[in-house]
Amino acid sequence: MIPFPSVEFFEALRERVNADPERLRRLGTVDMTLVVKIDYPDRVERYEIVFAGYHCVRTRQIANPADAPKDAIVLEGPYAAWREMINNIVANGQADLEHTLNTLTLMDTPLHVESDNQLDTDLFYRYQQNLQEFFDGAAIGAPSSASAGAHLN
Amino acid sequence: MSPVSESVERALDTLSEVRKGKLDLGWMNANPAGWGVRATARDERGLGLEDINRVGTYGEVPDEGSRFGSMAPRGSEISDDMPSLGCYDINDKSLVWADNVAHLYDEAVARQWSSARDIPWNQLKPLPEDLEKAMCQVCTNLAEVEFVAADMPAKWLWHINHDFHEVKCFLASQIFDEARHLEVFRKRALANGGGLLRSSPDSEQLLRVILEAPNFTTGSALMHILGEGFVLTLFRNGEMFALSPVEKKIFRLCMQDEARHVAYGTMHLKYFLEKHPEREEEIHEILSRGEEATFSLNQTQDTVEARAILAGGGLEHIEEGFQKLGYLFKKQINEYLYRLKMAGIERRSRLAIPFELPL
Repeated sequence: MIPFPSVEFFEALRERVNADPERLRRLGTVDMTLVVKIDYPDRVERYEIVFAGYHCVRTRQIANPADAPKDAIVLEGPYAAWREMINNIVANGQADLEHTLNTLTLMDTPLHVESDNQLDTDLFYRYQQNLQEFFDGAAIGAPSSASAGAHLN
Repeated sequence: MSPVSESVERALDTLSEVRKGKLDLGWMNANPAGWGVRATARDERGLGLEDINRVGTYGEVPDEGSRFGSMAPRGSEISDDMPSLGCYDINDKSLVWADNVAHLYDEAVARQWSSARDIPWNQLKPLPEDLEKAMCQVCTNLAEVEFVAADMPAKWLWHINHDFHEVKCFLASQIFDEARHLEVFRKRALANGGGLLRSSPDSEQLLRVILEAPNFTTGSALMHILGEGFVLTLFRNGEMFALSPVEKKIFRLCMQDEARHVAYGTMHLKYFLEKHPEREEEIHEILSRGEEATFSLNQTQDTVEARAILAGGGLEHIEEGFQKLGYLFKKQINEYLYRLKMAGIERRSRLAIPFELPL
């Protein structure tokens, strides 16, 4: 079981999305850096996910916002919201209607999108299907019940 | 063979001479400065427009397009007797250019999708009548307005000098995107026991303002930034309030295309205003007209009721739906103003419509 959040978790998502090159070719190219920011009551954790062309090329944990490029898009929310989203994906095989990235961010709660400027924010909309399928990768190989919790198998 | 014209006869004579071995081969010595380049793909995405713009002088886009007014490719040798076709009269780069346009075209080509193949139509299920009717009304509105974003570029495309082929290619990709949007919303309306509902006279007013814009840049500001920016939020809205995986996918894929168009419009306006700061007022004036028309369109009764029913989850929850739409309207306005700010226009104090809906 791979715990969420962790470097191993995002690396597993990266490997899963890259494992289907034909699918990536159908979805098209993506050029962006996404920072997943998970808020805890007493601390935050940040993971940088870099997409270039037809691949997710890198994931890593970063300590400070400045460690990510200036044009990175930050997807931020409390741990409970992230955990619920991942559990939902694992339980359903993909995000259900209420737990897609767009749905969770449109009203700016429970998740919200931050960036340096609006055109960078717009990248989050421009690559929405790729981002959704990246996170939906959490369901691959996972059991079909929600009992898995926020883990990857 | 029936008698042929003089020009056909001349061509036949030339061909006959060539076949007898009287070769010219002068074309082999044409354009020596442009010979010997070897464009390569930067990575696995293949050989894009961005890549071929990195070799020799082929990526140098002139501020003033070729004087010939022909379809001759930029960078080729053009003889002095090249005839003008008489239609290419947008020859100033600043009137159409955006620094991201080659990248956007490459991306557009790589991210095409099919409304027949990529939407899981078999997952549609019968819906309560109020929700099906609301979805069909929204789809009717979208099928009505989406194609203006094809007609408007088409209107200007054949005026644009061929030296700006990146822009022409991008606008061509946008035209095809909008064709797909028209068909996908029409298909959704016809695919689940409903049908098209009521078209909107108010929509036609906005469409008219866009189509009748006096030049490409004002039309682009209206359409790419204002119109498509607002529709981008509507698509996000549609994804959130989708009734099945079918609408989820439709709105998500359309959202991606729309964001690409908005990115071109924003960067084009930025480029234009950097070259022509004195023309900012012209942009403000057209945006005022467009904002009023867009507001009327978005708040027309048929549209707003249908969207509120979807946002609330049914006719009995329409009040809840109105509250959500109120929040989204503020977001729509703010994103619009931030895009304009990126383009170099501060419009917060001049907005011609309310910041908030009285909901």
